[in-house]
Amino acid sequence: MNSTWFMYLGFSAVLLFVGIYCLLTMRNLIKLFIGIEIISKAVSLALLTSGVVRNNVLLAQSLVITFIVVEVSLVATALAIIINIYRHTKSLDVRKLTKLKG
Amino acid sequence: MILQIALLSGLVLFSILAILSKDLLRSAISLAIASLFLGIIFFRMKAPYAGVFEISVVAGLITVLFILTIALTKAEGDVRESNLAKIVFPLFFVVFIIIDVLVMKGLIQKIPTLPGSADQGTFGDVLWKQRTFDLVGQLAVILAGVFSVLALFRKRDKDE
Repeated sequence: MNSTWFMYLGFSAVLLFVGIYCLLTMRNLIKLFIGIEIISKAVSLALLTSGVVRNNVLLAQSLVITFIVVEVSLVATALAIIINIYRHTKSLDVRKLTKLKG
Repeated sequence: MILQIALLSGLVLFSILAILSKDLLRSAISLAIASLFLGIIFFRMKAPYAGVFEISVVAGLITVLFILTIALTKAEGDVRESNLAKIVFPLFFVVFIIIDVLVMKGLIQKIPTLPGSADQGTFGDVLWKQRTFDLVGQLAVILAGVFSVLALFRKRDKDE
């Protein structure tokens, strides 16, 4: 593992790219949120990799668990907001939210 | 080594499937499978607690929340994604992988892996003694999530 940590970081960067690409190009609100989830996977993989490299797995593990708990809370709130947006606009299209301007 | 690459490739592959799939339900299930791969990777990195949390909470609970939202909104096919984004994706992906490999090669030569201080005690010691304030923060975040969901779904009063 110690010799292959760069590979884990590389794959973590690829996941980050996939998530950011989704955020930049997709229009469906649920798809956008799936992009955020993919980015969070990249972050937790990078956190644990750095812990393993520094021989500090337990600390990294507790940080990852904290991160997952925060993520769940975020998901619950964001999905509730998405359902409310759907009730107002009858669509999940992110472009229709521009009507909220001014 | 081969198993490591296979697991990481599976994680990336299912993540890509999750964003490129037309059907939202398939996207959610692909995301769950990607979480499963990440959980197995955590187990192999000797982090069983993180693996258990990843598989049970992210692959289980969050997928259920996603499927519930998809069922409540019933908007499959409602939003037309741009075809250009899907066509251009492989090109950007390959370019990014080339840049990524080059950067990582540079990192191997320049950054030495410093020996860190080894863990002491058990996971329980680290979680309950070293990261005590994190746990308070976690409680606050969970409470904030519960109250925000309650606030977002509250019923309107009759006079509104």
